[in-house]
Amino acid sequence: MSVRVVEPWIEAPLKRFVDDARVTIALLLLPSGQVLAEHGFTRSLDVAAACALAAAIHASGGELGRMLDGRPFSGLHHAGQDRQIFLGEARTPRGTYIFLTVFDQESSLGLVRLYFDEFVANLSAAAPASQAGSDAVLGENFERDLNRNLAALFGRA
Amino acid sequence: MSSPFQDMLASLMRLRGVAATMLVDEHEGMIIDSILQIGQDGSRVAALAASLHRKARLSSDAAGLGAVSFLQLEATGGRICAAGRDGMVLVVIAAPGANIGLVRVELLKAVRELP
Repeated sequence: MSVRVVEPWIEAPLKRFVDDARVTIALLLLPSGQVLAEHGFTRSLDVAAACALAAAIHASGGELGRMLDGRPFSGLHHAGQDRQIFLGEARTPRGTYIFLTVFDQESSLGLVRLYFDEFVANLSAAAPASQAGSDAVLGENFERDLNRNLAALFGRA
Repeated sequence: MSSPFQDMLASLMRLRGVAATMLVDEHEGMIIDSILQIGQDGSRVAALAASLHRKARLSSDAAGLGAVSFLQLEATGGRICAAGRDGMVLVVIAAPGANIGLVRVELLKAVRELP
């Protein structure tokens, strides 16, 4: 069960989530789309694309929630024929993260939601002191940071 | 909000020692309807019980034993009983002193009446 992380404190909570929830893919990213950790990907290009899409879905869902409900939707589930995705918001003292996971018949939405709540709690407990600006949408060095994180996960930019 | 399953769940709740009943979607692990007491975390139990039932069903199939009719998990603080049909699982949480024979009969009867 291999997980790759940009920051080491994320590794244990993510590993535990992947083990418990039996998901095939997991991705933790900043709302800006910068990857922080992944499980199940083989190519950095796929991670970059998934992060961009997850960030866009999260932003769209948030805005839709504000329009309809007065507050952003924080979770999304989409069921395909064989595989399903769950996209959730992980709020920690260090900042807000987006979590995308893909699962098949080995798991279920109920289990994923159950272990996602535990993952957020574990992530919050493991998070070092708050990092200013982690919620920034697009930083000045966004592209450089994006490539740096992908390089940290896959060994090249 | 009332659902078509409330009467069935309520009749199971009336059995001595039954602390909670829920109807769960086996595939999704989500509660369809439930009767819980204050402080019970139904969604956790539902997700895990549905997973357990599904795995028991698959194991039974793999062993050539046919469909799982009734599943009982005994713990020091009580029992979890489950029976399912067509992707739905009826789950009962019972205290150690519950009449488990009666729970089993009523649970199987309720499952047969599921739409």
